[in-house]
Amino acid sequence: MANVKGSAVCRSAVDEGKPADWVPGGERQKVIDPMEMFHKLPREKQFITGSEAARESMRRANIDVAIAYPITPQSESMQQAGYLYDEGYIKEYYRAEEEIGTFSAISGASRAGVRALTATSGPGLMRGMEAISSWPGARTPIIMLNMCRVINTPLAIQPDNIEMSFMLNTGLILLHAENQQDFYDFPLAAIMASEQVDVTLPAVVSTDGFFVTHARGPVSVTPEEYKLPPRDGWRSAVPAMDNENPPARISRDAPIQKSNFISYHMHSSWQQEVFAAVQRSAKYFRKYLGGLIEVVNPGAEDVIIASGSAVSQAREAIRQEEERGHKVGLVKIKTIRPFPTEEIFDAIKGAKRILIPEFNQAGWLHKEICSVLYGRSNAIIKNGPRVFGGMTMPTEMVLEWLAEFRKEAK
Amino acid sequence: MLIQDNLFLTRADPSGHGGIQFLYRVKDYGLSALTSPQEEISMIHWEVEVIKFTSPETADFEVCHATELADKTLKFYTDKSLNEFLQKAFQYFEELNSLEKMLPQEP
Repeated sequence: MANVKGSAVCRSAVDEGKPADWVPGGERQKVIDPMEMFHKLPREKQFITGSEAARESMRRANIDVAIAYPITPQSESMQQAGYLYDEGYIKEYYRAEEEIGTFSAISGASRAGVRALTATSGPGLMRGMEAISSWPGARTPIIMLNMCRVINTPLAIQPDNIEMSFMLNTGLILLHAENQQDFYDFPLAAIMASEQVDVTLPAVVSTDGFFVTHARGPVSVTPEEYKLPPRDGWRSAVPAMDNENPPARISRDAPIQKSNFISYHMHSSWQQEVFAAVQRSAKYFRKYLGGLIEVVNPGAEDVIIASGSAVSQAREAIRQEEERGHKVGLVKIKTIRPFPTEEIFDAIKGAKRILIPEFNQAGWLHKEICSVLYGRSNAIIKNGPRVFGGMTMPTEMVLEWLAEFRKEAK
Repeated sequence: MLIQDNLFLTRADPSGHGGIQFLYRVKDYGLSALTSPQEEISMIHWEVEVIKFTSPETADFEVCHATELADKTLKFYTDKSLNEFLQKAFQYFEELNSLEKMLPQEP
């Protein structure tokens, strides 16, 4: 990185071709307690795209370094990040050579103790998966924005969130944003949760590409003069590296790379701790986001459980059902990891039928729900409707599935 | 941001294409303003239909191309231009509703 002196990033007005009295935007902001930012600051409603919502989130996130490689539909957001770099809200920013390079470099930045942001979509995520999978075990708080798109053949750039299924068992924190508002709020909450000393994990905020990133929606934002507290790299389960006295070998090599009972034991206990840390992050999301799930019409016999933009389609379906005198419940899952098992169990008490609409071929949310409700609920769980490859999910489709479901399971 | 007067419903585009729909209502008439995702975000725009509601209780409506306001789907590229149109449309609908009341009712 250019202009790095010690662990502090120094940008001068002259370096940036700015007027001599230029002050980076981030230095004009005041640090505020996260709970104040999330729940008390006044908010102004804007009508902006998901990419612009991501920009406004990044503006307030006190980001030290952003590294990314462009891919549709992520490119728009990282272009916006470029504007923030120019305005001085992000201290360092560069385009890496490709995604393995991106996600390796961002891991290094996090190990150095700074707040690091990256973003990607579908095939880019797949390309960088080896590096991504190493983040949780390395205990590197990183915020990654993931604008979901098709990854499987035939190639397409359309929205499809199958890629989220590849992240479920990595030890990452994983959130699924329904709309532009979530894509503003969730990254801020995810950053603060991921950097807690009893968490110290990377966090991914996924959203459905195009439907959210390239469409406008109402977003209530806090005043831009306030930002989150900076990352404290020493307040961490694995303290940041001292880059002025770097270790001769970065890898914690030794027994873990051998094949003996100690290495097996080390690996398993290390991984158990990673996944326990994911669960420990739940309490922070309860504080920051008001819960891991949102429940509409509790106690209904018919319940839709969804995440991402399928929630928006479900909201309209239950509104139309209500017009026709049917009460249908909705459980919106905000955090996929940590998975809100107990919250879902409480929310579906009384349910006879559960419908799980998804924008992917695999039906990964259906599998998740089935695995946690098995033996604990008498409700019949229906796998669908599912659309993928960029297909749309009209409200009528959800309504038809509900009607059929009622006939099948009375 | 679009004006909030007479805003009857904000919802995800029911056709499932992504984007958001604002439904405005002035008695039986109204407007549907829909904005959808675009690959080039500079091309994001509003598609507006004059609509006639078919039920006083629900959001059910039919597209109405029979008013003097518009005989086709309208496109607006800025919130400002749409807001100006909305104001004029609301006034027109008030007058239209009053005029329709003066017509002899069908048996």
